[in-house]
Amino acid sequence: MPSSTRTVFSLIIINKAGGLIYQREYQAGLRSLSTNDYLVLAGTFHGYDPPHNQCPLDISTSLDGIPIANEYLRHSVHAITRSITPKLPLAQTSPALTSPSGNAPVGFSYPNPGVPASGLEHLETEKFRLTCFQTLTGTKFLLFTDPMTGNVDTIMNKIYELYADYVMKNPFYQLEMPVRCEAFDRHLGAWLRGRT
Amino acid sequence: MTVYSFYIFDRHAECIYKRRWLPRPASIVGKSRSTENAAQSGQAGTGQTMRATDDDSKLVFGTVFSLRNMVRKLGGDEDNFVSFNTSQYKLHYYETPTNTKFVMLTDTKSPSMRIALQQIYINLYVEYVVKNPLSPAEHPGGVGVNNELFEESLEQFVQTRVLS
Repeated sequence: MPSSTRTVFSLIIINKAGGLIYQREYQAGLRSLSTNDYLVLAGTFHGYDPPHNQCPLDISTSLDGIPIANEYLRHSVHAITRSITPKLPLAQTSPALTSPSGNAPVGFSYPNPGVPASGLEHLETEKFRLTCFQTLTGTKFLLFTDPMTGNVDTIMNKIYELYADYVMKNPFYQLEMPVRCEAFDRHLGAWLRGRT
Repeated sequence: MTVYSFYIFDRHAECIYKRRWLPRPASIVGKSRSTENAAQSGQAGTGQTMRATDDDSKLVFGTVFSLRNMVRKLGGDEDNFVSFNTSQYKLHYYETPTNTKFVMLTDTKSPSMRIALQQIYINLYVEYVVKNPLSPAEHPGGVGVNNELFEESLEQFVQTRVLS
């Protein structure tokens, strides 16, 4: 297979507070940004997709209705892409549609009932494809690949696996802090090189 | 394939046209399809619905604007943002050389609508709006594209896309 179909340009890891904790380039192809631009990019994807069928409008209020500290979570691009999800009005005569959408307000459902509304997952441009994967704890992995690259999910799963093994199991790694684990760099680099 | 909505933004970030299509409620599928459809779209076109979606268009613009800038920074000036999808919908984007932006929201399974948006621009927008001597070149204050021919042909275009 030609190498362009398997190209991985770079990987970015964002902690759940929207901070950039890891950034590596594996193949040239994309312009490299200034540190500040990388931080801006990380902030763009700040935002948390509730794993359950939670109404996105409720995310910023706690049970008492008091806004939680992360009110600004709703204002990142990632969160806005979720909030502009088209809402389909429900017909009164179709109770079948209301049940799978859980506690969404009565009156509308999402296009894919049963699937929680998420923020941006894949972004495609003429030159690259960006895949955004969020772990259950809110850490985000942004993977930049060639638009023709197949099986991005497999790559993402492997990266997550390596992250769990070499970062999370490292006793010296402090949560939410920049990832400086040599073993992670080495294994991830070797695995990605082995693929191409 | 389902089309949820369609927006046009001019180069001053003003939303000059927006249109939402409400899908048929599940209960009436099969019977009186065309009449219901017409009633639905008529409802979507009224002023009240339009106002309720006003904030939507601003959010859509903000999103595509930030993403486009990010894409330009990463991919170089000649790179173009094509589409993104979430678990619920897919957003397609097309920008003309004069910075008019065409945005369409469809369901996640739809193929790339880049060509379709380009066709809307070339065959409908340029023909009916740009070449219309009575239509203003700029749209301050948000009157927007108010053109029966354009709306009708857009409606027709989307209908044929949905059915195919």
